[in-house]
Amino acid sequence: MFPHLQLEHLTRRHFLSNCSMGLGSMWLASQGLSWGASSAIKKDPTQPLLPDLPHFAPKAKRVIYMHMAGSPSQLELFDHKPELLKLDGKECPQEFLAGKQFAFIQGVPRMLSSRFPFHQAGESGHWISDRLPHIESVIDELCIVKSMYTDQFNHAPAQLLVHTGSPQLGWPSAGSWATYGLGSENQNLPGFIVMTSGGVNPDAGKSVWGSGFLPSVYQGVQCRSQGEPVLFLQNPEGVSQSLRRRTLDALSDINAKIAQEVGDPETVTRIAQYEMAYRMQIHASDAFDIMQEPESVHKAYNTQPDKESFANNCLLARRLAERGVRYIQLFDWGWDSHGTGPQTDLRQGFVDKCKEIDQPIAALLKDLRQRGLLDETLVIWSGEFGRTPMRENRGGVEMRHVGRDHNPGAYTLWMAGGGVKAGYSHGETDPIGYEAMIDKVSAHDLHATMLHLLGFDHEKFTYPHQGAMHRLSNITKGGTKVVKSLIS
Amino acid sequence: MTRPFSVFCLLCLPAIAGEIRFNRDIRPIFTKHCTACHGGVKEAGEISLIYRDRALGEGKSGEKAIVPGKPDESELMRRIVSKDPDEVMPKPKHGPPLPEKEIAIIRQWIQEGAEWEELWSFIPPREESPPALKQKDWQRSPMDAWVLSNLENKGLAPSPEAGKAEWLRRVSLDLIGLPPTPEEWAAFRDDNSANAHEKVVDRLLASPHFGERWAVMWMDLARYSDTMGFEKDPARTVWPYRDWLIRAFNSDMPFDQFTTKQLAGDLMPSPAPDDFIATAFHRNTMNNTEGGTDDEEYRIAAVMDRINTTWTTWQATTFSCVQCHSHPYDPYPHDVYYRFMAFFDNTEDCDLNNDYPSTKVANDPARQADVTRLEKEIDVLRDQINQEGLAVAKTITDYQVWKSTAAKASAATGGIAQQPDGLFLSSGTNPTNSSYTLTFPAHSFAAIRLDILPLSDDPKTWSGLAAVCGDFHVWLVLPDGTRQRINLKEVIADAIVGPFDPNEAIRGGGPGFGDYPAQRGPRWCVFVPEQPVVAPEGSQLEISLFHAISCNADNQPSILKKFKLSFSNNPALQAFVASPGRAQRWAQHGALKGQYNGIPGAMIPVMKERSAAGTRDTRVYIRGNRSTWDQSVQPGIPEIVRPPKKEGRLSRIDMAQWLMSETNPLTARVLANRLWAELFGIGIVETLEDFGTSGTPPSNQPLLDHLALRLQKQHKWHIKPFLRELVLSATYRQQSKATPALIEKDPRNQNLTRGPRQRLTAEMVRDQTLLISGLLSRKQFGPAVFPPQPEGIWKSVYSGAKWTTSQGEDRYRRGVYTYSKRTSGYPAFLTFDAPSRDVCSPRRLGSNTPLQALVTLNDPAFIEMAQAFAKRMTTAGTELPSQIMQGYQWLTLQEAPPAVIDALLRLHADATAEYAKQPAEMKKLGATPEEAALVLVANTMFNLDSALNR
Repeated sequence: MFPHLQLEHLTRRHFLSNCSMGLGSMWLASQGLSWGASSAIKKDPTQPLLPDLPHFAPKAKRVIYMHMAGSPSQLELFDHKPELLKLDGKECPQEFLAGKQFAFIQGVPRMLSSRFPFHQAGESGHWISDRLPHIESVIDELCIVKSMYTDQFNHAPAQLLVHTGSPQLGWPSAGSWATYGLGSENQNLPGFIVMTSGGVNPDAGKSVWGSGFLPSVYQGVQCRSQGEPVLFLQNPEGVSQSLRRRTLDALSDINAKIAQEVGDPETVTRIAQYEMAYRMQIHASDAFDIMQEPESVHKAYNTQPDKESFANNCLLARRLAERGVRYIQLFDWGWDSHGTGPQTDLRQGFVDKCKEIDQPIAALLKDLRQRGLLDETLVIWSGEFGRTPMRENRGGVEMRHVGRDHNPGAYTLWMAGGGVKAGYSHGETDPIGYEAMIDKVSAHDLHATMLHLLGFDHEKFTYPHQGAMHRLSNITKGGTKVVKSLIS
Repeated sequence: MTRPFSVFCLLCLPAIAGEIRFNRDIRPIFTKHCTACHGGVKEAGEISLIYRDRALGEGKSGEKAIVPGKPDESELMRRIVSKDPDEVMPKPKHGPPLPEKEIAIIRQWIQEGAEWEELWSFIPPREESPPALKQKDWQRSPMDAWVLSNLENKGLAPSPEAGKAEWLRRVSLDLIGLPPTPEEWAAFRDDNSANAHEKVVDRLLASPHFGERWAVMWMDLARYSDTMGFEKDPARTVWPYRDWLIRAFNSDMPFDQFTTKQLAGDLMPSPAPDDFIATAFHRNTMNNTEGGTDDEEYRIAAVMDRINTTWTTWQATTFSCVQCHSHPYDPYPHDVYYRFMAFFDNTEDCDLNNDYPSTKVANDPARQADVTRLEKEIDVLRDQINQEGLAVAKTITDYQVWKSTAAKASAATGGIAQQPDGLFLSSGTNPTNSSYTLTFPAHSFAAIRLDILPLSDDPKTWSGLAAVCGDFHVWLVLPDGTRQRINLKEVIADAIVGPFDPNEAIRGGGPGFGDYPAQRGPRWCVFVPEQPVVAPEGSQLEISLFHAISCNADNQPSILKKFKLSFSNNPALQAFVASPGRAQRWAQHGALKGQYNGIPGAMIPVMKERSAAGTRDTRVYIRGNRSTWDQSVQPGIPEIVRPPKKEGRLSRIDMAQWLMSETNPLTARVLANRLWAELFGIGIVETLEDFGTSGTPPSNQPLLDHLALRLQKQHKWHIKPFLRELVLSATYRQQSKATPALIEKDPRNQNLTRGPRQRLTAEMVRDQTLLISGLLSRKQFGPAVFPPQPEGIWKSVYSGAKWTTSQGEDRYRRGVYTYSKRTSGYPAFLTFDAPSRDVCSPRRLGSNTPLQALVTLNDPAFIEMAQAFAKRMTTAGTELPSQIMQGYQWLTLQEAPPAVIDALLRLHADATAEYAKQPAEMKKLGATPEEAALVLVANTMFNLDSALNR
């Protein structure tokens, strides 16, 4: 009935019987120092993703991070600023410009109020604009942080900061830290999966899900919602799954002989990895097959099967969360609303982008809630910085389209599920939404808080590199703190 | 109950019989318990246990922490044994008290005189006489003595010598990155002469493929990439540098020359064309072309990357720590970072989108010497032309500041106004594409001087944005309102420095005169009219100063914020620039440029030093922040690593020579260790990148020191003879078989109880498969190639770059030639642990993951190679068993054990049966069921552990 599973079972037995000479433990002894002499976390690389326990009882088991790459305007979505309405169209006062660096604004721009009306919604009374009616229906699940800020005003470094705690390349991403620390609950899928939509990768490229100086096995695996989900997952043309099984049997057989001949513990690891690759072929294909979902689910998420879409990725995120994947990162590109053309006009492209994400995000939150997964899944939504309360005037002139420039001073992030306070709004920006003013939260604070929710003390969860014990919350930044008030 | 008692008794005894050694016994205790607070970053109580004088001096309390010979008078002793929670060290909140044993060791050390030792790696290596060995007949190379002596001391023994096949495949992959061909194997197998091994090694060292393998090692360090990095990650032409590396390794360029050329080739006495290409080493830094970035910010990021890369590559030192504070564990004070930065702070590159400055690599190598000569002549002549003008300009001393009648900024948002002292000051925001229009009552004049000034007179603040004058136009407005354009002939600048030619300011081309990408001090120039201007009574002079063209194709404003205009009627300069002699000079310049432009070639980024007049005032950045400057510093090298004794300002070339000097304690060890790790899989110092306190100590320091001295002294920095000794050594020639007993005693083979067994590198996996399948193109050099990669991998933001698969033999080139894109590396390589090369990657950390299996099993590129391999196997005989047997031998050099052949034959039989039933599937791999099945067998063989390892 299930030939794959049967073969799988047979092979595992075969594998164990051939390799029961304790090579795994031999390996451990041999690798005692290789992954960082003073690291408290010891990994068995035959199974580097085995689940591990954190420092204390976690509130969240996994993370779904939805990054709106390019950075959506907080002023059009969550950060209601009536004062800005009064200033709309007026020249920006000098005090807002002094000492500021902009990417594109020049001269004295004009103030720009929200293009869309706001209202309070739900029992929480969260403010929200009219662009996200579906998210509004789950608004009481959200814990909204309006006082996020950063010190980077270009996309690539700002995205790196959000995900690695450093604006430079070469640092491990939050997902790789989480997977390194916690392993994964599913040994047949990568523990850290990344999916993109919007046609391009994030500005900082694959470094935002890189493993930096952590072992490369903890880097995010980019999976695709179109074509084969994992690169080279599918058997080559002309190789059926049963023939693949047959080749792996021959391979395991021969490799086990080689292992006995050469005695290299890495050979044993390799045999295990080939078996996992095989399981991954089956389980990843299964996990990524959204056509298994009933029509009602597709409708709820508004999916577009066989296309790359954010909605598909949301549905996949749920399927992966169900399967115990530790860290799921979605990037949706197209939020860089400068107003240089219709695509980046707040009244046009931005409106379309809102439509693209609104229904799927609401569906994901409801779906997770319904399946009892939301309480153990930390869902995060953000950009990499905010947008200016002034209208962009590239080259110092008024542009045909309406947009906003990059603003590191303030942006909005929200979380839901996994141990955060639902219905709570944290922090405030100044009256025009330009700078975070009250209860400011940095990316480092966010990382400390995420790690806390996953059960780690961010100061103790470290890895030795270049002469220092490094951590996600960036050792060079003082004053980083867990934002306790976000936690339920 | 007896057990704790006996432990207690042990503690009463002296901790260690014999003398305490600081490095062995004391430093680890300090590092573990103390230096977090009493180190380089923090010196709590003014005590640092990193610098000898600060450890033995008085603390803040006035007490001496350590009094040699007198533990009871040493404050440190009192504090570590104290039971008072307010006194005890470490403080209870920082950690538990020291174990009794460690306290006893410290006591004994102080008692014995508190002898201080610098860290082992700061003490230059010394040749020790070879150790006495019990086993006399094992040694082949000098280094074997140190390996064997260590084994004998530990009661271990070496493994038997490897069979010919095992050694040949290993040495071949190690030295040239390719396995031997059947002919090479047969020749060696049948060569029974005493020097058969030597002959093989000499052949491999002479192979043109040698450089291709060793260049890869260096390209990781050099962060070589075919793109610039960051958001758009555009293409960069820098492959001639990669070719330079390959040739340098092939010609066995001594490492001292190799170093000097890469770090300072441009400053060598009379650089050869290739010496400029070598300096691209430090132009492999990333370049941020994202819209709206500050070029000075990314210029400094590149400079710091050069510092860190230099220290990681040559000194295995974590110098980047020192950017923000003194080194936490090693004696590098904060300011040395910036003294070292001064070596790199004076190059002309400044994150421009066009990678300026660059050198031309002529398509026709025969023209390269012309290119180099012309580039130099053009630069020198341009400078001379300016100098000649400047000499005349300086004779003019009667400049007058005119009082303007109107000063207008074109942007409604900006302003410009003249102060009573004549200075113009901007206000508000003047965007890039705006201009100032300044009107003066006209007097006759023959020269206009422009002084661009920093906003403040305090040099500590001279880190702000650039100030560059774009178009500079002058009109004479006659009393009747007629406007006469004054034609300007030349701009004479205070110095020719920076990326722009001052004359551009009057040619309406691009940015002209000013300071870019940051205004680092006052600058001045003189605009010279074609004719002396005679202004009729009542006429006005209008000057328009346009910032029209942004300097870097994006929006970084380079606005003049504070400047002065003054006028002179002295005609000397005007007469000079209008003279026939001057015209001749310009004609000469034009002719040279004409010749230069006539030589086709590719422009590649190189290092170019700014002229003396443009020397930047490098300053210490407080806490590493580039916008908070402290005192000015001169180029310098930390004391601990023995800087050269030289009067006057040190240059980049002095720095390169210091690295390679006999007194440098690190360079030779770091290189010897790196080469060792390439062959043996693990460094004698495992942390190839860190020889400091936080790195791992050497597993066999006498061996490392011997190798370092051998490389430096006997081999005079030649890498080939050094490698020759290593691969011919008895150590390397051991068989790699590991028994459970060996793994128990020497789990990671750091003692060399057996031969090395390493997984192939990412590039070797590809290259070997190409060679075995018969597809490999041995074509060398040239632009990067695009072997097959899955659709949809390249998706950079704002970039139209496409991966277009190479045709013909370029499809099958060695991995070193594969296009390397920073934000999206070649997937099969990344999966096999190749770094993205964003920054210097001193060590590839090997992983063993399921994704690797997916690459070698399923990547269509590997299937294509499996098809070719299957075809090749059928040429080896008519019978399947012999075909497979031969294939296995091509791949591993070994005779396949019958069980292996059996397993593969059974696979073939099963697959044949299946394909016979499914002809449609079969056709995707082969013409007959047998053929398709053999492709599957070939695909399987590529995945054998013995194929993936060496």
